[in-house]
Amino acid sequence: MTRTTLFIRILAFAAIVAVIAGLFWLQNPAFLSTGNIRALMRHMSVNGVAALGLTFVIVVRHFDLSFPGVASLGAMTMGWLIAIGQPLSLAIGGGLAVGLLIGIFNGIAIARFKLPDIVTTIATGGLAIGFSYFYSNGTSISRNFFMSGLLDINDGRFLGLDRPFAILLGAALVGLLILNASRFGRAFYATGENRTAAWYSGVPVSAIVIAAFALCGLCACLSIVLLVASSGAANVSAGTQLLMPAFAAVYLGAALFGRPSVLATLAGTMLMSLMLNGFTLLAIPYYYSDAIVSTVLILAITCFDPRISGALRRLLPTRKETPA
Amino acid sequence: MSLLEMRGIEKRFGDVRALADVDFELEAGEIHALLGVNGAGKSTLIKILSGVYSKDRGSIRIAGDEIALGAPRAAIEAGIAVVQQHPELVGDLTGAENIFLGQEHARAGLFSPVNARDIRSRAARLLDRFPIDIDLDRRVEDMPAVDREIVAILHALRLDSARILILDEPTSTLTEREKESLFGMMRTLRAQGLAIIYITHHLDEVFEIADRFTVFRGGRRVAMHGVAEARQAAISIPNLMLDSVAGEVFPPRPTHAAGDIVFEARGLTRQGDFQDVSFAARRGEILGIFGLVGSGLDELSKALFGALRPDSGSLHLHGQQVAFRSPAQALKAGVFLVPGDRRTEGLSMQENVIFNTTLANLGRASLGGFLRFGRNRRDAAALAARVDLQPRKLDRPLRGYSGGNQQKVVIAKGLYREADVYIFVEPTVGVDIGARAKIYALMRELSEKAAVIVMSSDCNEVFGIADRTVALYKGAPIGVPSRDTTRDHLLHAGIMGEAV
Repeated sequence: MTRTTLFIRILAFAAIVAVIAGLFWLQNPAFLSTGNIRALMRHMSVNGVAALGLTFVIVVRHFDLSFPGVASLGAMTMGWLIAIGQPLSLAIGGGLAVGLLIGIFNGIAIARFKLPDIVTTIATGGLAIGFSYFYSNGTSISRNFFMSGLLDINDGRFLGLDRPFAILLGAALVGLLILNASRFGRAFYATGENRTAAWYSGVPVSAIVIAAFALCGLCACLSIVLLVASSGAANVSAGTQLLMPAFAAVYLGAALFGRPSVLATLAGTMLMSLMLNGFTLLAIPYYYSDAIVSTVLILAITCFDPRISGALRRLLPTRKETPA
Repeated sequence: MSLLEMRGIEKRFGDVRALADVDFELEAGEIHALLGVNGAGKSTLIKILSGVYSKDRGSIRIAGDEIALGAPRAAIEAGIAVVQQHPELVGDLTGAENIFLGQEHARAGLFSPVNARDIRSRAARLLDRFPIDIDLDRRVEDMPAVDREIVAILHALRLDSARILILDEPTSTLTEREKESLFGMMRTLRAQGLAIIYITHHLDEVFEIADRFTVFRGGRRVAMHGVAEARQAAISIPNLMLDSVAGEVFPPRPTHAAGDIVFEARGLTRQGDFQDVSFAARRGEILGIFGLVGSGLDELSKALFGALRPDSGSLHLHGQQVAFRSPAQALKAGVFLVPGDRRTEGLSMQENVIFNTTLANLGRASLGGFLRFGRNRRDAAALAARVDLQPRKLDRPLRGYSGGNQQKVVIAKGLYREADVYIFVEPTVGVDIGARAKIYALMRELSEKAAVIVMSSDCNEVFGIADRTVALYKGAPIGVPSRDTTRDHLLHAGIMGEAV
């Protein structure tokens, strides 16, 4: 992508954000209040971190449907470790390790043993949810949470930013460095574009696919740490709400910027959070939000489809589709 | 009056004249072989006959009546039946069901039942017309390759109106014994008065089965002979197939002697693909291997590059024995493959020139793991200039380039790798003449510092660019690489398997 087209796309994105924000602000001026923007950013952090991990999997042209289940298991593992009195760092480390390990397992099954990605990850996700019941027979865990310092992750500030948002930015920076500035990023994109050509070019395609799934699992569990910190309890269904927003964010971003990337995913997450937050503020019942996210997801995958985006580009000089 | 008469057929694709003023005639009850190298015009003629392409000029008469083809349906109605090179059959259905696929219903309507008995009786009627020994109640999946070919032929002949049968390289996947039974069937069909057009690359088959043959070269018909007459007059078909002028696209050969042996294969064998291949590639010269599609050439190139494992034999690089388990290892050791299918094996078509140029050497493109953007752009620009990329737009995705320029990017990728051995497979397929000359010049330039191996199904190309040549026939090298092989000998060896 040349600089000019990137610039045009960023402008288009800013315009869409302005239009959506403006519409909500007209309905309810509280939309642009400091308090609401901070709430929005915190909401964005949870979904954004999960979507970042998923971005890697989408770049190598695979699917991971296990990360919501994996995130639940990560949440329960971390909650249990805190409840039995382990230090917070160990508890978080345990939760993240769960995500990493299941991600690597997914990757090996799919890259080395050529199992179908969708079915495999549905199964591992189900397995993870099953295991998450072991800690407490399915009841939510919140013992010692207050004492452990976990809640500070949600409430604390870092460089003037809410800590969850700072964590999202940190994760995005690392993701940006890996995917868009390092040799490994090239390998991820090459693997996704044309696996045979990548292999013939000396790219270790299996290792790259495994790494993508590992990063996805890791990010899912990092995002669940943020979610548990904000809700104050770990429960077995914690992760289920991650699935659709993450997919919608990655595909919406890819539709806006022409390909999946870290910046595209951040932009997609921001649009999703803007809309969900706005609808909440307008007191639209929460059960509509799933329908809204799904609609956006379908619009996004439609626009990401090269035939349709090509046709749109011919119709419109700069793209201006306003979602939902 | 001939059954089929084509007069003055012309077909253009843009600036390229695929067929120029071509005449062709076919009699009822003959097997007529169509010969020519890739791109000579055989396929275009067949596609016009089967209604896939429409002719730009000329007339086609069947049994004296002028007909306008131009749609597959029209060809079928005119009695022309085509069997593609790799016929699509449904493995799960029986032979009879495959033959009448899409016509299972005796009556029209969504709910009219599929009548198994009806299909079987229609199949039996077809076998009455063409007495062939085949069990059509077997599932196609369980049939040997030749029976599948026969099912495809019967499928093409399922209509009573079929008078002309076109077979496009039907023997390419058959064993020697299966070939005999296919030929038996063809003789049966001929005896029923069917006219058969038979495309093949294997000249020995022509003398075995055909009555007459027509040779195409560069979009023109250059000869038409009876097989008996050709045998008597000792007409050389290979000579007819090749251009008399090799053209000036090839760079002059160097006068200095070749250098040290860089890359050596000893008795390399992979069951079913190639057997006992030995050669030594030297710095300062180009080694050429000629082989038809299916000769094992592609598999051999992949075995040299670690993409396929040989069963036995050894590879030696700078005198050291090597065994590559992946392309990554081959690249690391200094072997680069310009693969035969650049779209699926060579390039990321959605990515730009810089991405593709640097992909095979990401270590050089980065420092401490991070890409050196400025330097990579400069390197890619220098390489694009060296391979004469047109247009030189480094940010343009590869799909926006012509075939020849895409191939130049693959070569730039190889140059960026700075390998000791370069293997080119079908380097100029889909490449226009201007880009071809540049690609040949680059190969010659590369050979000054590295060993270059060219593998191609284009005999002219191998002969024109390489210093030493050898042919691969059905997986076996015919003779040893030599400077003294003439073009005719090379062609003979490659398409008939005979050392002259």
